[in-house]
Parts: sequence; structure tokens; C-alpha cells
Amino acid sequence: MAESTADLLFEIGVEEIPAPAVLPALSQLENLLTEGLAAARLTHGEISTWGTPRRLAIMVGGVQLRQEDLEEEIKGPPAAAAFDDEGKPTKAAEGFAAGKGLTVDDLEVRETEKGSYVFAQVTQQGQEAIEVLPEILDNAVSSLNFPKTMRWGSLEFRFARPIRWLLVLLGSNVVPMEVADLQSDRLTWGHRFLSDGPVEIAEPSEYLSKLEDAYVIADHRRRQEMIEEGAAKVAEEAGGRARLDEDLVEEVNFMVEYPTPLVGHFDSRYLQLPDDVIVTVMSGHQRYFAVENSDGSLMPLFIAIRNGDDHGLETVREGNERVIEPRLADAEFYLTEDMRTPLEDRIEDLQRVTYIEGLGSLYDKTERLVELVNWLCGQIAAVEDQHQTAATRAAELAKCDLNTNMIGDTKLAKLQGRVGAEYARRSGEPEEVALAIGEQYRPQSAADTPPVTRPGRIVAVCDRIDHLAACFRIGLRPTGSADPHALRRAAQGIVRIIIEAGWHVDLPELIDFALDNLPEVEHEDAVPPEKVAEQIHEFVLARLDTEMERCGVSYDLTRAVLNTECPDLLDAYHRAIALRDIRQRDPEAFETVVIAAERTANICRQAKAEEDLALAPDALVDDHAVALYEAYEAAREAVSDALAAEEADYEATWNALAGMCDTIDTFFDEVMVMAEDEAVRANRLALLAEIDDLFLRLLDVQEIVIEGEG
Amino acid sequence: MTIQQIFATLDGFWADHGCLIGEAYDMEVGAGTMAPDTFLRSLGPEPWNVAYVQPCRRPADSRYGENPNRLGRYFQYQVIMKPSPQEFQDLAVESIEALGIDAREHDIRFVEDDWESPTLGASGVGWEMWLDGMEICQYTYFQQVGGLQCRPVAVELTYGPERIAMYLQGVEDYRDLSWSDAISYGEMRFEEERQHSHYNLEIADTDMLAKVFEMFEAEAKRVANAGFPLPAYDYVLKCSHTFNLLDARGAISVSERTGMIERVRNLAAMVARAYVARREELGFPLLGEASDDDNK
Repeated sequence: MAESTADLLFEIGVEEIPAPAVLPALSQLENLLTEGLAAARLTHGEISTWGTPRRLAIMVGGVQLRQEDLEEEIKGPPAAAAFDDEGKPTKAAEGFAAGKGLTVDDLEVRETEKGSYVFAQVTQQGQEAIEVLPEILDNAVSSLNFPKTMRWGSLEFRFARPIRWLLVLLGSNVVPMEVADLQSDRLTWGHRFLSDGPVEIAEPSEYLSKLEDAYVIADHRRRQEMIEEGAAKVAEEAGGRARLDEDLVEEVNFMVEYPTPLVGHFDSRYLQLPDDVIVTVMSGHQRYFAVENSDGSLMPLFIAIRNGDDHGLETVREGNERVIEPRLADAEFYLTEDMRTPLEDRIEDLQRVTYIEGLGSLYDKTERLVELVNWLCGQIAAVEDQHQTAATRAAELAKCDLNTNMIGDTKLAKLQGRVGAEYARRSGEPEEVALAIGEQYRPQSAADTPPVTRPGRIVAVCDRIDHLAACFRIGLRPTGSADPHALRRAAQGIVRIIIEAGWHVDLPELIDFALDNLPEVEHEDAVPPEKVAEQIHEFVLARLDTEMERCGVSYDLTRAVLNTECPDLLDAYHRAIALRDIRQRDPEAFETVVIAAERTANICRQAKAEEDLALAPDALVDDHAVALYEAYEAAREAVSDALAAEEADYEATWNALAGMCDTIDTFFDEVMVMAEDEAVRANRLALLAEIDDLFLRLLDVQEIVIEGEG
Repeated sequence: MTIQQIFATLDGFWADHGCLIGEAYDMEVGAGTMAPDTFLRSLGPEPWNVAYVQPCRRPADSRYGENPNRLGRYFQYQVIMKPSPQEFQDLAVESIEALGIDAREHDIRFVEDDWESPTLGASGVGWEMWLDGMEICQYTYFQQVGGLQCRPVAVELTYGPERIAMYLQGVEDYRDLSWSDAISYGEMRFEEERQHSHYNLEIADTDMLAKVFEMFEAEAKRVANAGFPLPAYDYVLKCSHTFNLLDARGAISVSERTGMIERVRNLAAMVARAYVARREELGFPLLGEASDDDNK
């Protein structure tokens, strides 16, 4: 009996595709093929993907060779229209049958909910997989998304890089198809220099081994092992340890097809350069790994991953050593030049550097930063004089590295702050000042850690709030996904630092201070300060929202907290986390309290907004109302105590509020709030409004979504 | 291999692969791409295959001749093929092998490096070509030139002959390169580098340059509007070089810089459109054979 399945192999050969584009393309390819095969009713087994700089490959195991037949029942016209009074078929019936390749005799009449209709049974014959696959594959190729695509030759077709060959096999058969003017074949290409001519693949299962014979390790997971193990080994042989930066390993992995690590040397006098600079010079452009001693200090060595075997490795080593030398020499030149001027003598120079057009120079920015730092230090309880001194000094020097030769080199520009820290150290500044300068731009991304020293945190928050104030003031708000001034990152940084540092800071006050601190703004897109303050507040709270989501606080709970007065970010955050835990611990109990509080809110909010409600406790006549008032009084006292503590106790607050719950329910069950007597009614509403206000010190219960509610 | 042997070898190689061997353009350009044989010829539908040596001036790179790797005036070897042929990448490698570099003994790679020229309104997708970690060529598929989409796409290969020669000759300083067996690069060009560096970095009269920039810009517009894109382009090149001189003299502030680049780009775009319009008027004369091919 003939086999009913075969493996599918699909390889797109390209001119070197950018390293970061390979993995995303492979996972898209897998999804597209999975969907395409399912839609075509072709079952299959396991899928494997492999990528190198020159190929995107996917193998689908055990693809069914023929689609299942498809039995379909198709509804036609109503029976009344299909047959005349005498029961003879009409034109409508004939037309319907003919359209399905049938005769009128094949039609059936069946009852449906909408009456009697004519039906046709149609069998769609399953097609051979080899006939269906070209469309699926072609669709997959043109549906692949890349960060950037291009055209080449005379084609309108777009892809990440020019496609040069197409290998498509189903079992031992070539699947005939055409993409970008190329015919599919059973040929692939080995290593550009270590293999001669095309490599013929008889069937998918031999793909990896045939390519390996041609000096291509197509499986990127295996290549990564070879790089990591090989680099570790050569580093060890040289008496050191390879610093295998994860991102760099991935990048290098997709720049080579046959990795062979080698160790190169550089002159040890370059070790006097800051570590960050040496590592960036090596990794940034040349994609070398650093090698360190057991104490973590750098060795005058680098590891390059050669694309090929060890043939001529000595020549390759020498060549690479020659390339890194002038780059390190450039950095050494920058360092020598930069060291002629101590960091503090560079402050004046910042007058010549524009910060943002219309917002003065970096010198002006520095002055603002110092003001902000001093103000913020006064706001934070835990800040001692020594921290303030260090933070102020760090603020003065914070931007001085931006005018150095080192940071002026575009390839080293990303070391801003870190170079400043090193220069501060070498200019004799205290270590905590250097650390704060080095930490000012952290966190750079969601994966990066915020500053850890107190002066570093202060400078980082002040730098960002000034940046937000300045940009928003001249109308530079992010629009859609475009955020050229990295304002979202700045706001996120503020939120993360304040939470991590545990600072109680009044956010509106901080924003107002930063805005007052700005120079007179004459700008065509300037936004009035009052409006800006609101915009920034909202913008920062939106980032707090993100932070809460990251901590598993549900959306409704976040809204419930942010919908109350919350000038203090940390307080809002802690409240949300506490409520998250309370809800998780006992969702039913949580809901019971919320429902009681919601009844209260629903009935009194409108009155609260419209009239001045003044509670007269002595005038409460009804027993239930009196009981509720007493419960409220007890709760209010407990809540005040719980919130007055140095670190507010939200558990105790919640428990105090929850304690009123039964009494609230009884009150609503027994008492008509909307009494006919206007004074009685107003007094009852006033009592409920007070209770609602008490809840609002923790959350707005109206924002909570309860399952099954709606 | 001497510098002149490198040029002769590359000429021979690309002539064998269907390129005409052009000569350098006789004006100051910042890169081989700016010569009309690349900038203008990569526009429009006509096929074009050319290789040429182009001296380039980058005043800001002037180092009085003292830096072993950096020059204010240096050379590029430039290849353009339009439409880009299927086997171009192989040709690029073969041309390096023609220079006596055995690819199996080395590590030759193509490393992502997309190209963009804000002054020319041009951009492309491509690579640096690495020889044992050193960039020796730039390999680019033009996507847009002078603000116009490239159809068909021209591919550009730009060699850095000094770098390649330093590698081949095992020399650490450009001055020690053999231009021919008789004379070194330094003997030929050091004094020129020295004098021009003084001019570019210290002597050039910035007021005068600012004035002529305006004049060149006006002339470019006037001549293009009169229907002569070729001489108009000469004035675009003059603007670009004048801008580079002002930049090297540190006479342009950050905000002025963006504005001036935009002005040059607008000129380049204007000339590009006028050039294509004129070629169309002429019936795209070089299209003859290619369109016959298409009709086969």
C-alpha cells in the first residue's frame, strides 16, 4: 500500500537576512503553515523550524498526501419556489441543481425552522496535497511580516532581503511553485566558501545532515550551543571566562552558519579605559565577547565567532586584532582628551548645547535639575543631608559627559551617564556622586533595573519629571505609537523608582514644581501650565496602571483605586496590591462588602453631587438608622487610625469597612431611604454619603466588576 | 598588490561582467554615490552598468595627514548595476577573490547595514562586507533616490581601496601604501592632505562660504527650472560640498544643520524629477535592448 503521508520541507534561501529578523520570521512561518494546512484539511505531525543568515527553513512531519473528501449540504431555494403547483421543478430548481453539477432528481426537500427548502448533497473531492501546497506556501511567504522590506531587480515583490533559491519537497517530490521569479527545486546551498555548488536534497529527512556536510549548521539551537560551549572553552584555555551576553549570543548566532570561536588579543594598555567602553567597542560594532578574570575584571582578550571552520584561523585572528586596535585607540584618544578637562569644568560648556529647541541649553537643564533635586529631597522623609549633598552634586555634573569626545562618538553615545560616572570618579568626585550620575538614565527599558542608590534615584526622578514637564509644555506629547522623546519610558521610570524606593511624594506638587521651574516658554505649540499639569498627571497615572497590571492587579481594581483621590503614587499602588490580596483570599466575602457599599453609593451619589448634605446624628429617629450611624462611627475611627499610621494599614481599613456591611444590608432591608419627610430623607442620605466617603478613602466600589453582574 | 593594480584588477573584473568602465566625475563629491553616474543614472527605467574610481572629499575627516586611517580626500571604487542581477552577491565575492584574497583562508561576511543619505533623499537596504572583521565594501540595493522610488532597483557596491590595500600590503598607515611600485600614497598625497586640512578646518572663509551656498542654491533652482537638470546638478554638488566645508569649520549650529540638509535634499529631489522627465522626453534611449528582452 502506498504511503499516505510524507514530510514537507520548505527552505527560502536569501541574501544575509538581518539577525534580529530570523526568529520572528520562523515563528510566523510555523503559524502560517499550521493555519494554512488546517484550512486545507491536511493533517500533519510535528513542525520544526531552522534559521541561518541565509535561510529560513521549516519542516512539517507526516503531511497527509490527499485532502479528505468534503461532504457538504447546500441549501437552495424554498420548496415552494422550486416546484410548481403540479410538483414539477421550476427554473429556479434546475438552475440551483446545475450550479452544483447535479440534476433536479438529486435534490431533496427538507423541513427547516423557516419552512420547507430544497437541499443538494455535494461531495467535494479531496485534492492531492502537492496541488494544494503551492498556494499555502505562497501565501505564507507573502504574509510574513518583517520590520523592513525591500525590492530588488525589476520585481515589485517585497521581502526582508532578496530571495535567491527555493527548496520545496514533499517526500521525495519537488512541489512545483514560483516565488519572486524563482522556480522551486530540490537544491540548497551550503556554506558560501566551504562548499562547492548546490547541494541536492533527495528527501526532507536528510536536510540537516546534508547541510552539515556542506558546513552549515542549520539548526540554530545547536549553533547556539556550539557558540556558548566553544566560547567558554577558548576563554578557559586562555585563562579566563567568557562574558556571554545573551542578546549578543543571539545576534552572533544569526550572523554565522558554521561557528568557530577564536580568541584575539589587544594591547593591555587599553585596560585603563572604562570597562563599559571596552565592552561596547568590542560588542557594538565587532560583535566580540569580552573575557574576564575570576575577579570579574577584564582581560586584554576578545572572542570572535568566525563563520567557518578552523582553516586559516590564524589569519582571521590577526585580521580581527587589527580591526579592534584602531577602535580602542580612538577611545583612548577620547579619554586622554576628555581627561584634560575635569568634569566640573565642563558645566559652563553645556551652555553651547541645546537641550530641546525652545527650552534652553543643557546648562539651563542642569540648573533646573539642581533646583528639583533640592526640592524633592525636602519632600522625602528618609533623605539625609549626605544624600542631598551627593544628589545635588550629581545633578550639577549629570549632563557634563554629553559634551565629551567619548559620548560624541555615535557608537559610544549609549554610554551616556556611565561614562560620566567613570569620569567623575577619575575627577576625584565621591563614589556616591559617581554612582548617581551613572544611574540617572536607568531603567532604560522594562527589563532594566531602576537605580539602587538614594541619590541616584533622586536624580533619575528629577531628570524625568523635568523632561516630561518640558516636552508637554511645548506640546510634544506622544501620539499613537510614536514617542520620539521617550516620554512613556520617562513616566514609567518615575513610577518604578518611586514604588521601589518607597517614597510618599505628592505627584501633583512634583509636577507643579517642575512646571514652575521651567523657563519662560515662547513656543508656537506651547500648552498653558494648568492644562499641562493635568496632562502629565494623567500620563503618569496611565503608567502606574501598567505597573499595577504587571503586578496582577485586575483592571477594575486599578480603576477603583485610581478613581479616588490619589496624589501619592505609592499609596495608590499599595492600596491596589492590598485589595488584590484581599479579593484573592476570599472573593465571595469581597463581593459581599462591595455589593453593600455599591448600594450605598448608588443611592447617595446623585444627591451628594447636587445638594449640601449635612448629617444631624441626633435627628436620626429610626433604630436601624441609629444602628448604622453607630457602626459608621466605629468604622470611621478604625479607618482613621489604620490610615494614620506611618505605613497605612489597608487590611485594617478594609476590615473596618467590612464590619459595617451587615448593618448596611439590614438598613436597606428595613428602612425606606426615600422617606416622604424631606428632612428625614436628607438626613438618611447624608449618613449614606458619609459612609460612601469612608469607602472612597480606599476604593470606588462602583468601578468593581462582579461576575454575573453584567 | 599596489593601489593602481587594485583599480586595474577591478576594472578588468567588472568589464568582464558587463560594466562599462567610467571615469571619476570632475567635481567635489562626498561619496561615489553622488557622482551623476550613480545618482542620476540609478533613476528611471533605463538599464545601467558601470564601474569607476571616484575621489571623495570629506572635509570633516581632515586630520592634517597625520591619522593613519583617516583622510579628508580619499578614493572609492564604485560599481552600479541596474537592474540588480540575481548573482550580484557572488560577483561581489569573486571580485574580492580577484584581488588575491582566498575566501577559504578568511572570514568574509555580509553584515546588515542599511544606508541613508539625508542630503540626497536616498536610502537603500544592504550590508557592510567584512573581511576578518574589517569593513571593506558597502553593498546596497537602492530603494529610493532623490525622493523617487527606484524601479528597477540598482545595486551599488562601494569598495574602500585604501583599506583593502592596507590589508593586502600589510601596512598600518596609509602613507606607507604603495600606489605603484615606484611611489607611495604618502609621497603622492601627504602634502595635499596637510594643506587641505588646514584649509578645511581653519582657513576656509565661512562668511564667503555661507554666501556662495545661497548663490549656488539659487543657481541650481534657476538652471533646473530652465530645463537643464545636468548643469543644475553640478550646483547641487557645489551646495553639498560648501555645506560640508561649513560643517567642518564648525560654523553650523545643530538647528541650522537640519535646515541646510533639507535645502540640499530639496534641490536633489527637484533635479531628480527634472532628469527623469528629460530622459522620458528622449524616449529613455538606453531602454532599447532591455525592453526587447522583456518582450521575449
